[in-house]
Amino acid sequence: MITWIRRNLFRSVTDGILTILSSALLFYVIWQALQFVFVTGRWEIIQVNLKILLVGRFPDELIYLLGFSLLALVFGISSLAAGGRGPGKQIKLARTIWEAFQRFGLLIATGALLIALGGDMASLLFGLYVILAVIAGRIFGSIRRKTALSKLPGIVWVLINVLPALSLIFISISQAALEEWGGFLINFYLAIVSIALCFPLGILLALGRRSALPLLRWLSTAYIELIRGAPLFVLLLLAGVALEFFIPASITPDPIFRSVTVFTLFTAAYLAEVIRGGLQSIPKGQAEAGKALGMSATKITVLITLPQALRNVIPAQIGQFISLFKDTTLAGVALSVFELLNVGTAITKQDDYLGQGLVYESLAFVGLLFWVGSYVMSRESQRIEKKLGVGIR
Amino acid sequence: MSNEVFNDASKITSKHGSDEAIIVIEGVYKRFKEFEALKNINVKVGRQEVVVVIGPSGSGKSTLIRCINRLEVHDEGNISVDGTALTSDIKNIQEIRRETGMVFQGFNLFPHLTVLTNVAIGPRRVRGLPKTEAEALAMELLTRVKIPEQADKFPAQLSGGQQQRVAIARALAMTPKVMLFDEPTSALDPEMINEVLDAMKELAKEGMTMVVVTHEMGFAREVADRVIFMDAGEIVEVGTPSELFDNPKEARTQKFLSQIL
Repeated sequence: MITWIRRNLFRSVTDGILTILSSALLFYVIWQALQFVFVTGRWEIIQVNLKILLVGRFPDELIYLLGFSLLALVFGISSLAAGGRGPGKQIKLARTIWEAFQRFGLLIATGALLIALGGDMASLLFGLYVILAVIAGRIFGSIRRKTALSKLPGIVWVLINVLPALSLIFISISQAALEEWGGFLINFYLAIVSIALCFPLGILLALGRRSALPLLRWLSTAYIELIRGAPLFVLLLLAGVALEFFIPASITPDPIFRSVTVFTLFTAAYLAEVIRGGLQSIPKGQAEAGKALGMSATKITVLITLPQALRNVIPAQIGQFISLFKDTTLAGVALSVFELLNVGTAITKQDDYLGQGLVYESLAFVGLLFWVGSYVMSRESQRIEKKLGVGIR
Repeated sequence: MSNEVFNDASKITSKHGSDEAIIVIEGVYKRFKEFEALKNINVKVGRQEVVVVIGPSGSGKSTLIRCINRLEVHDEGNISVDGTALTSDIKNIQEIRRETGMVFQGFNLFPHLTVLTNVAIGPRRVRGLPKTEAEALAMELLTRVKIPEQADKFPAQLSGGQQQRVAIARALAMTPKVMLFDEPTSALDPEMINEVLDAMKELAKEGMTMVVVTHEMGFAREVADRVIFMDAGEIVEVGTPSELFDNPKEARTQKFLSQIL
């Protein structure tokens, strides 16, 4: 211990000074943060507005639907995270629970925080359900390794786990009027819908830019360069007034529709470049091996080069998705969508809190939720990468 | 002796008794910009014949066999495989590629697929066999190249020699009429060369038509019906292994052999 400190922190006089200065700074920052969190911070603004921050004015009598969606989502993700083919180990309940806590510790802590803020019996009970869903999902996922379920193609397995949750989310959202939902729910919704839409579009654009057909290549290139040259905020503002020119008159775009359109089109352009980079990283020999087997160009792309390319650029792709997730806050400013940041700012202007400088508390809470979401995505991407790394050359 | 006598590789001398040509290459030229990689190549390969192509690096050996399945496009002349002429018609090209297996120097296995899927992908996705049948066939071929126990691994988990044997099995899975080998042992550690050569010898014994670009002179001597020596894009000399190795007629052949033997 002492030698470690010597070697790493006080190797020379300069090192020593740097160590002392930086730890002093660190302690100061942490001290101030703790002061804010536990002493000076007035968190009742979050407590009172917890519901509106999370789901907006979503009708109380329909919230159970959101609850079910969340449980299904947690179950599915937990099951996928446990999954994996090959010979399975014995399922041990205690171990399963421990692993679930390790994996989802941050989410569970966040959940606990929200429950503490909510402070009633119902949210406590719901928290228990969530933990049960994590464990149940984990067991369901582990079962796959031991049974005939492991014979299912990966994509079917993913759908089994994800589709119920997604359909529940869409059902619950469609039950409530659009004006009624808001808060973090909207950021979440904007992010998953845009990710789901921009992913295939990004692939098509990447392939288009590498196409042998000049027209397709030019169009894709023009699109990508045009979109990448414009600030997202400008595109959002533009969509607020100009989207009507591009869509049939029968559709009246609401702000959510406008935002999803822009996020999808915008992220697809960046994603296309990421995927194109992935495609370029695949050695020529791969396509040649496909050709030598008599495969058509389409089959070579779909079976050989694209799967490898997508796998090679997982970190960059997830990076784009994380950006998209955080950029959903711009929809609040540009298009007055009632998303988390918008709500967070609005609550500081309520009669009870106006002019009391509670914007710190509110922004800290908003930031925390986004940080947790982004961090979980980023860590999961690292895990997927490791898992898929089996076949790496 | 004049060049014309020896650079005509059109005369087939198969041990296996068939004189009918399955690969016909006539007057083929290939240029990479200014550089002439192939100059007036004429070769016929008979059914069940094993032809080994040797020569210094840059002599056009690889380019020649890559022209046979159109991985390179030749600029002049005609190439046909089993009666199908190679034209720019993609249907013809794919037809020929289905009948022509190729093994690469760098294996070129698909790293994201298991060994079994690597072998089964041709029959399944190109020939349209049902999954179970394709995988049964793949398993059979993996047994033939003596690595059935590696079926569920990924290529990166295998040694170079094992990978190359998987690559041979993958090519065989299309039940090709011709097998092309492009320096199949050049990327291997010495101790792994033999396991690959053994698999190739096995194949030759079974009567597969093979065109092999290699530096393994022992293999050429033992297995080849004919050996072609190429230099600077030309066929310099053709003969049976004993003619070419023991009694080379051309000065360039003599020089090359003296350098490597």
